[in-house]
Amino acid sequence: MSVDVQERRRFTAALLGEDAAPPPSDPSPQVVRGVVLHVTAHMLTVATLKGEERFLFERTTSFWRGRDVGPQDVRVGDDVLVRCGGGGRWVVDRLWAQLGRVTGTIVSADGDTVVVDPGHGRPRAVAVIPYRSSGRMAVRHPVLEPGYLFDAVGVREGGAVHTTVPVTTQPPHPASRAPRRPPARRVPEALSGIVTWYDPAYGRAAHTDPRAHAAGAAYPALDPGSDCGPDCDRSDPCLPLPLLSLGATVTVRNDDTGVSAVFPVLNCASAASRFCDRCREGSGDASGRLAELTLPAFTALGGRPEAGCFAATMEAG
Amino acid sequence: MTPAELIQIQPPLVALLLLLGAAAKAVDRTGGGGPVSLLPDALQRPASVATVLLEAVLAVALLAAPAPLGTAAGWAAAAVFTVSAVLLAVVRRRDPQMGCGCFGGLSTEPVGWRAIARAAVLAAAAVGAALAGGGGLQAAAGLSGAQAAVGAAELAVLAALSPELREAAVRVFGRESCEVRRVPVRRSLARLRRSEVWRANRVVVDGTEPVDVWRHGCWRLMRFTGRRNGRPVDAVFAVELRGRRPRVRAAVSDAETLVTLAVLGEVAEEGGAPLPRTTGGAPQATGTVVPTGPPEDAAGKAEEEAREGAEDRGGPRVPRARAGAQASGVSGASGASAGISTGNGAGAAKASSSDR
Repeated sequence: MSVDVQERRRFTAALLGEDAAPPPSDPSPQVVRGVVLHVTAHMLTVATLKGEERFLFERTTSFWRGRDVGPQDVRVGDDVLVRCGGGGRWVVDRLWAQLGRVTGTIVSADGDTVVVDPGHGRPRAVAVIPYRSSGRMAVRHPVLEPGYLFDAVGVREGGAVHTTVPVTTQPPHPASRAPRRPPARRVPEALSGIVTWYDPAYGRAAHTDPRAHAAGAAYPALDPGSDCGPDCDRSDPCLPLPLLSLGATVTVRNDDTGVSAVFPVLNCASAASRFCDRCREGSGDASGRLAELTLPAFTALGGRPEAGCFAATMEAG
Repeated sequence: MTPAELIQIQPPLVALLLLLGAAAKAVDRTGGGGPVSLLPDALQRPASVATVLLEAVLAVALLAAPAPLGTAAGWAAAAVFTVSAVLLAVVRRRDPQMGCGCFGGLSTEPVGWRAIARAAVLAAAAVGAALAGGGGLQAAAGLSGAQAAVGAAELAVLAALSPELREAAVRVFGRESCEVRRVPVRRSLARLRRSEVWRANRVVVDGTEPVDVWRHGCWRLMRFTGRRNGRPVDAVFAVELRGRRPRVRAAVSDAETLVTLAVLGEVAEEGGAPLPRTTGGAPQATGTVVPTGPPEDAAGKAEEEAREGAEDRGGPRVPRARAGAQASGVSGASGASAGISTGNGAGAAKASSSDR
């Protein structure tokens, strides 16, 4: 699926109008991702795409590494996501270390290890459910059998994600038995649902991989006639999402914070097309996943990656 | 109407609903849903088949069997509908997005109070059928006017409680919105090639297959490579995916400078006023077609003027076709005089010169 997404947007705007394909918003300068080079109780040095960047901690700075921790738990070499406060790029408001997420359909489960298929275009992911979070996980994901859905956030360690929080309540039926969407005679311009996040870099080389820094979206209703292709394994989402292609731009608004931005569609969100869930946290009772945002995009809109989702309104174009 | 007459019409009504349900479930390939989904995976398919058989047998018994068997079928149907109502409430609580599966693949709407109420109404009707002792065919043959009216009213109530009717109507009479409807690329290409816009600009395009195809809601866009005035260009066409006479738009863009040389149907002017939108979210046609088909001498003169103008400004120009437009439709199929260029740049040149 390598296409020139900028060219597509340019041509779409030329033929359908600028409103149909607005230019993507500039990435938020207050969200930084990189690899920790040095950390003390008061200061952090991170390798980013721009080189070495230094940040200061305040007393109010919070840290997450599977749970709320202190600066001493952030290690050199960690993949970190930093949200700065105070309108600048100096003081850390919150820091997430080694964030990982496993979303998709369970392929196999053996003891505390679950292998999940996130859909075409992405490699299979391994989730390890540690004893500490097994109770929480069992409540929300009671059936760890092939064919059932799985979605959890955790800490990336050694190629696997050690889950800490289930993002959603698992549907009580296998993904293949999900109810069909009722026919949509009209599609509203703005759709309400939830937005989740994904990591196109899989936590690797966050200081050099441009995918780790991209502000974009994976869309669950890619046109099967073009980009989704013959390997397309997405299902019809429960929301009547307009069919789009890579390069389209979508306007996403966080209903909780009111912050909105325009993101380009960069990937297929095959797994998201199978979920029809609500967000456990925040306002809004609309169900169904509108899009998966990359980590920097999700955080820039005020999302909390450890919560996994927020209620949102989305408009194509 | 006496109560006896009222219960006489229940066997054919209940049998009709049972038969419809059995038929819809029998042709459903999606696995249904509803109460069957409460069972383990391995038992769901056998349970679906058993439900179809049970409903069909009960319907036939209610229609044709004499009193003792017809009465038993009525009570059995009442039990089936009562249990269904309870199980639907359980399904609604367990999985709020699950359809009721009552009419197979037509029951896609999540289980709601209407589906549960319908099962309760049918349970009551089945009790009436049991008291009537079956014999539905005889009752249907000897319906009085009053009985027919009450039966129709009862069917209307059941229809009001059936979200499946809407889905069936959409499947039979209408289609989904073009934003969500799957349309093969081949069909879009065929529509493009039948359009006047394509024929008018065919000479610009190299080859017949697009180098890139993408979708934007109700539009499919296709990019072709080509040459115009000796320079490599991208010719992009947008085909609307609704209606029998879909609109077709085209834009030609210089492949090296990325400047849009001409647009047919719309001009996306940077910083211009937002285009009016249809309910489908697409910009409305504004009648901005680059005029073509001028007299030979006029076209030649315009080309010369444009060439001189371009040389004066030292580079390619973006036509503002809206200003140079004539009142003409943008439908690709109907735009008889529509064309960006005939290979010599006359159309775009005319647009350029007419604008500035």
